[in-house]
Amino acid sequence: MMDAFKTFFNWVGVFFVAYMIGYASFLFLSVLVGSSTLYQVKRRNFLKNELHQNYYVPVSIVVPAYNEEVTIVSTVRSLLSLDYKLYEIIVVDDGSRDNTAQTLLDAFRMRQVTRPIHRMIACQPELAVYESLDEKVPITLICKKNGGKADALNMGINASKYPYFVCMDADSVLQYDSLEKIVRPVVEDGSVVAVGGAVRPCNGAKLENGRVLSYRMPDKVLPCMQVLEYDRSFLAARILFDKFNGSIIISGAFGLFKKSTVVDAGGYDSTTMGEDMELVVKLHVFCREHNIPYRIRYATDAICWTQAPEKLGDLRKQRRRWHIGLFESMFRHRKILANPRFGLVGFLSYVYFLIYELFSPYIEIFGVVTMVMAFFLDLINIPFMVLFFAVYVVYSAILSLTAFFARIHTIDLKLRVSDVFKAIGLCALEVSCLRFILAWVRATSLIGYRKKRRSWGRIERKKIEFK
Amino acid sequence: MGVEVMIYLYGAVCASMIVFNIVYAVLIRGSEPRLAKRQQRFLRLVSAQTDRLSRGEPVERRHLDLLQRELRRVRNLAAFEPVLRALTAEDAPGGRAYLEEIQPTVLHLSLVYLHRDSEQTAYFSYFLSHYMLHRHLPVHSVQEVLLEYMGKENLYCRVNALQALCSFGSPEHVVEGLRIQDRGSVFVHDKILTETLLGYTGNHETLIDPLWKELHSFSERTQLAVLNYIRFSSGAYRREMLSLLRDASAAKELRLSAVRYFGRYPYDPALEPLLAFASESDPLRWEYATVSVSSLARYPGERVVAALKEALHSPNWYIRYAAASSLEAHNVGYEDVADIVTGSDRYAREMLLYRLETHTLHRKGG
Repeated sequence: MMDAFKTFFNWVGVFFVAYMIGYASFLFLSVLVGSSTLYQVKRRNFLKNELHQNYYVPVSIVVPAYNEEVTIVSTVRSLLSLDYKLYEIIVVDDGSRDNTAQTLLDAFRMRQVTRPIHRMIACQPELAVYESLDEKVPITLICKKNGGKADALNMGINASKYPYFVCMDADSVLQYDSLEKIVRPVVEDGSVVAVGGAVRPCNGAKLENGRVLSYRMPDKVLPCMQVLEYDRSFLAARILFDKFNGSIIISGAFGLFKKSTVVDAGGYDSTTMGEDMELVVKLHVFCREHNIPYRIRYATDAICWTQAPEKLGDLRKQRRRWHIGLFESMFRHRKILANPRFGLVGFLSYVYFLIYELFSPYIEIFGVVTMVMAFFLDLINIPFMVLFFAVYVVYSAILSLTAFFARIHTIDLKLRVSDVFKAIGLCALEVSCLRFILAWVRATSLIGYRKKRRSWGRIERKKIEFK
Repeated sequence: MGVEVMIYLYGAVCASMIVFNIVYAVLIRGSEPRLAKRQQRFLRLVSAQTDRLSRGEPVERRHLDLLQRELRRVRNLAAFEPVLRALTAEDAPGGRAYLEEIQPTVLHLSLVYLHRDSEQTAYFSYFLSHYMLHRHLPVHSVQEVLLEYMGKENLYCRVNALQALCSFGSPEHVVEGLRIQDRGSVFVHDKILTETLLGYTGNHETLIDPLWKELHSFSERTQLAVLNYIRFSSGAYRREMLSLLRDASAAKELRLSAVRYFGRYPYDPALEPLLAFASESDPLRWEYATVSVSSLARYPGERVVAALKEALHSPNWYIRYAAASSLEAHNVGYEDVADIVTGSDRYAREMLLYRLETHTLHRKGG
């Protein structure tokens, strides 16, 4: 019996060494590529290697909203202060039960119109359409029957006038130059069909007219750890995937899409929870199956500020939603896996997301369970285990810090010494504690997920202080 | 043993990352003050020379030698550039004379930067487009160098070099620059090309003539950029555009650009082809119909109004939208469209009413 256990633990050991080497190598590579790309972009901008003129790529900004009365007006005001010539704002109220629509109507003196909506993608019918032409750019509010976020986005696409649209969350703020930056890849390369923006937690940042006045690490521990996590996991990894056209996620908080391609591909899927990821994977499949030359890019300098959850309960809800979305997208498009037709998207991106995102919580929990078992069977070398764990923590923490400082350095933010110490202290806590808590959340997220498929993920919102 | 090696390897990676972070943090911390210091130094040097120029004395030879030596380093050039910017923005005494005096140095540097990496070359093109004086003797040579810059396979280098060429206002060099970018493998969006051409500092028509002559030698993307440039800068090419509009063998986007041209510059002989496009019933040619219907907004007459009303019944949403907008531009009265407002075509009615509402909103919104 003991021999069987020994054999089992040996294989578990071999598996975990391989798993960790894979993860460590990916992390190292992504942080290295991510950081060096950020430094290159900084140098490029310093040497005026950028497009200075306005190229008038007209953009429709679609803001799906559900019970957003607290934040919606400040969000629209922030959009009005964008430094861009030609755009429109479309807010889609997805059957809110609060005063989202009325708040907007009052704030922007909107009037009801009988606007015929061009139905290119199926969505729930509109109940009323309002417009305001009093501001710098046209604002449209569409009140519709509740159908979920994806359905609201589809309505926004149908109502949009321009050939490119931006999707964003109603509780986020775009930096003043973000539209110009997110459009740039489209002007640089005619085959670009989608561009992801960089989403950053705004907790701790003070913004005025879409500009950062001051930046500090958030006061609370949880958002602080998320700042570090965003830089390591999202920023660095997405830059790496961007190098080989392998991005399969564009955050729903900020992304730009070519409308005709999205419409041809069928728009957002309102039956999934992760409509943002599903759309991007679908675009890969659609373009490759129809032999359309395409690029999906990531714009590191197109910045959207969003609120990171400050309570563990809210964070748990957010991550649960993300994990379900990940599962649905990957399951729906499973034919991509290691399929030569999809190139590196199938061999690298999909495999990475499968192993290190979708399966990782189960693998990590399995690892903890086997450690406990091994401890009771006296088959574990505790000093070595502690050493190995310490190496893992230090390694991950330093890579987090490298990604974090690369971002801070390259966008000319100034940190106080106390913030630097806070980052150093909390990055260890993030990789050693938060990661395992979130692993548990993600591992249990698929239980009973079908019931809440079409619902909007709600987390507690504060009004973003936007002057 | 293998595991220990792995741990040491991880440790080495950690240590190198820490060193990298610290070194970079120190460099970053020092870079801004260093740049400001260099800038101050150049400011002092340049001020001394502009003072001399104000007194009627020439720039010192050793100053030019120093510039020639120091501006080879791109960081020095980046520190020098804001000094020149301030000098030209403030229209400081001696400023223009100073720029003229340093032109030979700039010409020399243009050759130095030709052999640098494309990012530095792009920066120097940017510098030239701002600080190289027009109609100065060495300008011709600089433009030759810029054409070589255009050959570099880097988008920003090409765009900045083309901008610099446009700022000199020499049509033959701009045409040659367009030809070079057309041959390269780097994609330059037609919007970038159009916008850059619009920055041409000479008389636009002196540029358009050679561009029109060479039009067919360009790729479709560049042709489109040129046509759009013509649309935004001159109404004197109606005859040429009409022949393009009538040329059934021309590419769709080019013909559409010609249709848009006649929306901006009305031309009676273009009315018939525009009406023909507006009544296009082939669903695959809906873009011709949409753009023509939009262009007809500026053509008066009952035939035009009748064609627009007919277009309102199109099954295509875009054509209906364009027709309603054009009718709105014609300021048609209620009696003119009563048949649509009270008619049985709900789609036509809704679109028309929507445009009328928008018109009211526009008026109220000022």
